[in-house]
Amino acid sequence: MKVIHPRPNPIVAALYTLRDMDIDVVLVHGPAGCSFMASRMLEEAGVRVITSGMRDDDLIFGGAEKLIDAIRTADERFSPKTIAVVGTCASMIIGEDMEAAVRRSGVKAKTFTVDCHGCMGDNTSGAVKAIESGCAAGIIPKDEADRQSMLMRAATDMEKKVGMAGREYLSPVRGPTKLKVARTIAKALKDGKKVAFAMIAKKELAYRFADMFLALNEAQKALGGELFTVGNLDPDKGLPRIRRYADDILSELKEKDAYPDRIVGGLDEYAVIGEDVRKEIDAFGPDLLILAGIPHAYPGYSPDDVLITDQPRQLANYLSMGCGLAVGEISSHSMVMGARSIIPLETGNTLREVLEEFE
Amino acid sequence: MRRIAVYGKGGIGKSTTSANITAAMTEMGLKVMQIGCDPKSDSTRLLLGGRSCPTVLETLRDRGSVDLDDVVVEGAGGCLCVECGGPRPGTGCAGRGIIAAFETLERLGAVDRYRPDVIIYDVLGDVVCGGFAMPIRNGYANDVFIVTSGEMMALYAASNIAEAVSNFSGDGYARLGGVIQNSRNVADEDALVDRACGEIGTEVVHRIARDPSVQRCEAKLTTVIGGEPDSAQAESYRELAKKLLERSEDRSGGMRGQ
Ligand SMILES: Nc1ncnc2c1ncn2[C@@H]1O[C@H](COP(=O)(O)OP(=O)(O)O)[C@@H](O)[C@H]1O
Ligand SMILES: [Mg+2]
Repeated sequence: MKVIHPRPNPIVAALYTLRDMDIDVVLVHGPAGCSFMASRMLEEAGVRVITSGMRDDDLIFGGAEKLIDAIRTADERFSPKTIAVVGTCASMIIGEDMEAAVRRSGVKAKTFTVDCHGCMGDNTSGAVKAIESGCAAGIIPKDEADRQSMLMRAATDMEKKVGMAGREYLSPVRGPTKLKVARTIAKALKDGKKVAFAMIAKKELAYRFADMFLALNEAQKALGGELFTVGNLDPDKGLPRIRRYADDILSELKEKDAYPDRIVGGLDEYAVIGEDVRKEIDAFGPDLLILAGIPHAYPGYSPDDVLITDQPRQLANYLSMGCGLAVGEISSHSMVMGARSIIPLETGNTLREVLEEFE
Repeated sequence: MRRIAVYGKGGIGKSTTSANITAAMTEMGLKVMQIGCDPKSDSTRLLLGGRSCPTVLETLRDRGSVDLDDVVVEGAGGCLCVECGGPRPGTGCAGRGIIAAFETLERLGAVDRYRPDVIIYDVLGDVVCGGFAMPIRNGYANDVFIVTSGEMMALYAASNIAEAVSNFSGDGYARLGGVIQNSRNVADEDALVDRACGEIGTEVVHRIARDPSVQRCEAKLTTVIGGEPDSAQAESYRELAKKLLERSEDRSGGMRGQ
């Protein structure tokens, strides 16, 4: 299938995966602007992402000297325990020997290379490369690496089957305001209906989508009705950093008396837990279902469900399929970078606002 | 101005032949600029008689900028010698280097400055990637000549090069001017080269004999035209130069023909 809208790339996927592995310094060996937007977001979130800043000369003569220099600079300046050198299209095309550069740099930090580039295909292929390289370097254990690779493949399959990866072109939309969705939820609770909420969130995005646990609990307390909540917040699944996200969110939910009724899977398992989440929801038998995070990870979601996504193209996809209660929490990703506590959703705040209309 | 590119398998005699063509045309009173497009940077060796020629790419890398006078060096009889330069074998990207070197010469206005009548591009080996096709594309060279012997690998390379040229012909780029046979004394060599030309759809422009004068002159760091001007071999190179002038287009424009 030909797909022409812009989409995530394997180099950036590798950067995020290295962040998940808590690598101290990530060094992109390529042109200064390569992966700039993602690098800047990661930098602002406290991850060191630097560039070797390749120029035309380096393409022609090879960029090994520049890379060695950058590795040594990183080692001296940040005294990291770990450094990952990430390949780009430029380093790939000229066949740069990044391994040799790492050896020759002679730095103290544990340094390894991720041999990825922008033309590998699915963005998750870059994440898998990062995982495999991290495993070979002894950063993460083999069983966790295998598990991560399996999850990446599952995520790729899911996007191809039910996500927007199967569409040739989608223009991004910001979608309708959250008013209709907020009123629909409030009315259902006011009428004493059964409302279910399932968060199937991807990693750090849970810091935002989890606000729905809080907003829905406030609404239920104010208006009545029956509320049942599920989230992929298992704090014993995945890399340490991902577990920490779940810990942060669960303790905040507990403190605010909005602890989920069921926890199904970890924050990196969004692509494989749809069926299990569905079983919990079916057992409850809701009148209204709200899905947040990656709604299409939930098998058989329907046009009557409330769908909350952070992806403007995904939103376009849902709306085009006739899902009238789909809303977009656009730019969520930049908001959750570096977050350690729940960040309010527009949908959550709109629901809080309309409560007095119904009280 | 004529813009001629000489292609062919490595070691087949492109640089030797190019230098002799340049020397022969210079002798005729033409201003010839020979541009070596090979990271080995040995194209203009026989024209410079052992003097060094700083390459465009190394100069650009080491100084950050290039003065034309630093990289365009006068050779035998007043011809102009340029070497693109490039990476050590096994590092970087020589193809990108050729593109960057051409862009640099163009940006600096090399043609306006020296007003050559002929530019001869001596291009490394096979057309392995986009960079080595650069002289064929974008109007840098208007006429391509392929050097080959009757040896199978040389003919194979010749057919690859011809294919690259014909792939680009639809875009109005260079056209194939013909084949230069640089003989290796293979049995039935003329017939073998003729047959290959028939398959490629071109013809032999000229046959150069394999001759010890070439090595003798090479040892003195000169062309046969310069070192043994009265020899039959020198006369053969002069004939070849004349034929190339007849078979190439005289087009206006700067580095690129219009
Ligand atoms: N016609 C010829 N007779 C004898 N030797 C030749 C002839 N043409 C080329 N050579 C020799 O072949 C060798 C390779 O030639 P060169 O021009 O460097 O090849 P290329 O530039 O194609 O790699 C040189 O040492 C040269 O002396
Ligand atoms: Mg040569």
